[in-house]
Amino acid sequence: MINLLLTILLLAAAGVGIGLFAGIVPGMHINTLIPLLLSFVFLFGLQPQEIAVLIVATGISEIFFNFIPSIFLGAPEADTALSVLPGHRLLIEGRGYEAIKLTVIGGIGALIASLLVIFVFASGFQFVYELSRPYIHFAIIAVVCFMILSEKKLRKILASILILGLSGLLGIFVLESSLLPQQQTLLPVLSGLFGLSILIISISERSSIPEQTNSTDVKISTKEILRAIILGSVAGIVVGFLPAIGISEAATIVQYAGGTGEARSFLVTISGINVGNEVFSLMSLYLVGNPRSGASVAIQSVMNELTFYDVILLVGVICLAAGAAAVLTLWLGKKLPRLLARINYKKLTLSVIIFLVAMVFAMTGFLGLLVLVTSTSIGILCNYLEIRRSHCMGCLLIPTILFFSGLNPLIISILNF
Amino acid sequence: MELEGIKTTENKPAGENKKFKLRKNSLIIICGLTSAIGLVLIYFAASSIQAKILPLREINTEFVGRLVTTSGYITYKRTHPSGHLFLTIADDTERNVKMEVPLFAGFLDSLKDINIEPSDFKTGRTIVVTGTVDEYRESLQIVPRKPSDIKFVLD
Repeated sequence: MINLLLTILLLAAAGVGIGLFAGIVPGMHINTLIPLLLSFVFLFGLQPQEIAVLIVATGISEIFFNFIPSIFLGAPEADTALSVLPGHRLLIEGRGYEAIKLTVIGGIGALIASLLVIFVFASGFQFVYELSRPYIHFAIIAVVCFMILSEKKLRKILASILILGLSGLLGIFVLESSLLPQQQTLLPVLSGLFGLSILIISISERSSIPEQTNSTDVKISTKEILRAIILGSVAGIVVGFLPAIGISEAATIVQYAGGTGEARSFLVTISGINVGNEVFSLMSLYLVGNPRSGASVAIQSVMNELTFYDVILLVGVICLAAGAAAVLTLWLGKKLPRLLARINYKKLTLSVIIFLVAMVFAMTGFLGLLVLVTSTSIGILCNYLEIRRSHCMGCLLIPTILFFSGLNPLIISILNF
Repeated sequence: MELEGIKTTENKPAGENKKFKLRKNSLIIICGLTSAIGLVLIYFAASSIQAKILPLREINTEFVGRLVTTSGYITYKRTHPSGHLFLTIADDTERNVKMEVPLFAGFLDSLKDINIEPSDFKTGRTIVVTGTVDEYRESLQIVPRKPSDIKFVLD
């Protein structure tokens, strides 16, 4: 018994370590690491349950660590930037640690809230899932229309249609053909749209990390935090149901519906959506009998199905790993600004850019580089057209609408793939 | 309510603002052109990929994610409550080599446009299938993507 407990603790700690790597290295994602991870763990002769513990700990901790590079890297200069992300806005004000702390509060709060929601409604998920499947493409189309119309001004609406169209075409070309290795199909697409484009804009504008204050307090009321956590975790679970609907689309809807547009409540909400979505995805095999993320596909490949006992074990691991990741994220959030202040920001950003390009080339070759250049151009275009970057999610939304509406065989025939 | 952005160009002097707008417009044109050229190149690269013709017995995990054309005779078929049809095909010469060909409900609908009905998939019939090799629950599958990916071999 003690041996089993120690093994689980050790694997959870290893998962947090891998999650840290996947979270802080830009462009790295658990889905990229899973094939490598699975082949590696089989060498150690781990049991299916033990592999699931490792995957779950990696998946949940990565969510917390992900906010570190997204807040501390890629911030543009305040006087030239046309659109600044909420995390970057606080960093520019010298309150980067507060931004990190808000994401941790949102994450831990949403973990508790989403586990409560999941346990209360566990028996209803399968029914809702089966009922909604034939109509999922209509729900996604409604979200896409909402995203476009939320830009309000005609010029921005047209610009968002352009970005959705370009990224949608890119998604169809890459996902519906066998152009790139199957496991890495999305790596150059997402790295360009959401990673490299932001870093390139940042390197052309910023020379250092803004000076940070020593303050550790958060300037938001408890009521606001609770509201953002509840909205975030519920939205996260809904995102788990809807394929291709991303965190940013959900955040936009929650911002309008719940009035969480202010930078601080936005950070709590977006962290809540991330954690709610991850918890639901990791539990999806048990809840709806279908994997809803790369991590749950990996769990399915080793365990086939989850028993109630497995679920209890994995919930324990989720709580443990989330707690450890939260403490580590806060510690890093305090230490990093001082460390980054001593490093040449341009050189740091440039090395991240070189690393991303090298990784894409190593995993996907010259065709992957072509996709990366194209997706980066679309990402930069989106920035200069002054519209929300979430329109770039067209790369997943459009192919998913085609798949669920049964139109993809026709499209593939027309495109001659 | 400003959702994601704060505009600050208004605070700049007029000359600097004009220069900034000029730079922004040039970048929009450059990025727009790069995106369009990139998409055209990706389309041509994707459409020029030819399926590799292989006997069923030679398809292994190395081909996961790649497009192949193979043939086999139907040994088993299973209908899913959601309307999907799962075929098991076997190699013509090495009969113990088998692989699953999932035909999802939407795909079966598109087959009706070329007059292929689910009832046409009878055990014993030989089919030529083109599709992406996929790994599902540690077994390989060939997933056809468009109606012309399925052809019946005349008896």
